Amino acid sequence: MLAVLALMALLVLPCRAFAHAALVATDPADGAVLGQSPERFSLTFNEPVSPLVLALVRPDGTQLSLTSFRLKDQTVEIDNPEALKSGTHVLSWRVISQDGHPVGGSALFSVGAPSAAPEAGEAVDLSLRTAIWAGKLLLYAGLFLGAGGAFALAWLAGDCRCGRRFVAAAVLFGLAAAPLSLGFQGLDALGAPLARFAAPIVWKTALATSFGWTVLVALVALGLALLSVAGPSALRKPLALAGLAGVGAALAASGHASSAEPQWLTRPLVFLHGAAIAFWIGALAPLGLALRHRPAEAKTFLRRFSRTILPVVGLLAASGIVLAVIQVREPAALIDTAYGRLLLLKLALLLFLFTLASVNRWTLTAPAEAGDTEVQRRLVRSIGIEILIVLAIFGVAAGWRFTPPPRALAVAAAQPVSIHIHTLQAMADLSITPGHAGQVVASMIIMTGDFGPLDAKQVTLVLSKPDAGIEPMKRPATKPGDGTWRVDNLIIPIPGRWNARLDILVSDFEIVKIEAPIDIRSD
Amino acid sequence: MKIYLLVAGALFAFGTNAALAHVTLETQEAAVGSTYKAIFRVPHGCEGKATTAVRVQIPEGVISVKPMPKPGWTLQTKKGKYEKSYQLYGETLTTGVKEVDWSGGNLPDEFYDEFVFRASLAADLPASQMLYFPVVQECGDAATRWIEIPAAGQDEDALENPAPGIKLLPKK
Repeated sequence: MLAVLALMALLVLPCRAFAHAALVATDPADGAVLGQSPERFSLTFNEPVSPLVLALVRPDGTQLSLTSFRLKDQTVEIDNPEALKSGTHVLSWRVISQDGHPVGGSALFSVGAPSAAPEAGEAVDLSLRTAIWAGKLLLYAGLFLGAGGAFALAWLAGDCRCGRRFVAAAVLFGLAAAPLSLGFQGLDALGAPLARFAAPIVWKTALATSFGWTVLVALVALGLALLSVAGPSALRKPLALAGLAGVGAALAASGHASSAEPQWLTRPLVFLHGAAIAFWIGALAPLGLALRHRPAEAKTFLRRFSRTILPVVGLLAASGIVLAVIQVREPAALIDTAYGRLLLLKLALLLFLFTLASVNRWTLTAPAEAGDTEVQRRLVRSIGIEILIVLAIFGVAAGWRFTPPPRALAVAAAQPVSIHIHTLQAMADLSITPGHAGQVVASMIIMTGDFGPLDAKQVTLVLSKPDAGIEPMKRPATKPGDGTWRVDNLIIPIPGRWNARLDILVSDFEIVKIEAPIDIRSD
Repeated sequence: MKIYLLVAGALFAFGTNAALAHVTLETQEAAVGSTYKAIFRVPHGCEGKATTAVRVQIPEGVISVKPMPKPGWTLQTKKGKYEKSYQLYGETLTTGVKEVDWSGGNLPDEFYDEFVFRASLAADLPASQMLYFPVVQECGDAATRWIEIPAAGQDEDALENPAPGIKLLPKK
């Protein structure tokens, strides 16, 4: 009986995602009570991840570091090095996901019987967060104002060498911010404090994340931009173009937008979005400085810029809209989630920016080109304000680093809960989708106890919740023809631990009943 | 475990009515190596519907089955191979009746009836154990399957639709 109970307790069930990569399932399940110490643990995510820190907190609060693990698709299998004593344990994990962002969480399970839960909270390190945010902001500024500026100087400014010093300074800022940003990423990945900034493991960890690629490509792009500004004039144009492409590539290498599906669409779009931003924003400062200091030479610059900017902004807006739709999914998420609110803030700033830019383009540009000095002065002021707004937009975009997009949240909410029931006569995988109270669909795969096919004549799902006084609810399952059994339009009235039983009619005169608890979420 | 206790508790609360409502055998003990007259008592239909067929699976070790015809019902048997051969009155039996079906009848829910066959209980059946006869009671489209056999150590009262059974006694 104990063995059967232990088998029943071998559950798999999803938990809420805490951030970007969503945790789909843990084994032992969160809240499970096991008959005996498990041999291994596993964590399953909605995308492939790689573990950074895995630890087990024992009932007495001491920590056991888990170092032996294997990756199988989206699952991390972890060996348990010791026989656990009875009481509640916390499986604490921290992984890095495809989008380069570290995610942490913990699952509670008990051996024998639950004890008081130990403390293992995730504290938010505000100083580190600020540092990460500032590092990203500076990196954006360096890439867009620096590499973008170098492009504008090479391709649009003509003979006017105005704004060179500004662009060079922005590139140098970016070159300094890129490694800092990488270090902060490493600290965040390990959950380490700022004081450990110099530790080699921090940098090694950071380089192993996808953000490592972003920083490397950004460094190359900034280097090309610097060469273009300071190097031989014959190479200015190709170097600057490569630098601009590098900006797009750096952004496409990591982040929420790039890691969303479908990748064939999102990565090129992020590339175009980033390159278009660099084209537009990079030109602003040199153009403003040119108009201010050398109005005569600035005319060509202004003419070229105003001619090319419309398709570029069109590309920028189109790619941005598609990416936002992929991330946000439904309009309500704009208000309901932190990610959506940041997007609204960015859109508001963009609206302001576009208004300003339109006024510049359609009412000020022509007289300014014609040499109206008063209008030129107004244009310079307006460009100055535009740059400030752009910096604010960078700040908002850097804030996305800390908010999971509604896409990832929706994945987490829609996750099914699944259990595996295994007895001598039969075994079953039962999934309830979505795994929370309300209207759900149950799907079952039935096999014999030794993994053979079991062509059942009838399957009935019986749900009960004895602690809430809910008697068994019987729902006959149907066979959609794909080898599974389904119960559509199933309603689970309240969340919590339910008892799921499958009555499997093996033949006319033989029935097998198997059961196990299943945890239904509340959201 | 908990659920079994709960179901057992629920059954207790309902009293013996639940057990009386099962399809059961009139004689609940028999010696191995003897002739047994199985009388299946059908106390009601399937959730209010009239019974139209009763099918009994013959367990291994129950040999030389002869069902009793019933007026108004079509009697059929399904024959097949036994898992091993049995000696009966100097004769070796390797095949025989594996299922007895009474069908095409109409037994309203408010009436009671019995279905009968005679058989020999093989001498090598394990004495002091239970022997179960799974029964499918059909009521048109609906059916109640009295086919649950308790697992080792499980209380028979915990089952929703227990198969009728007899206790095997030592050979006389």
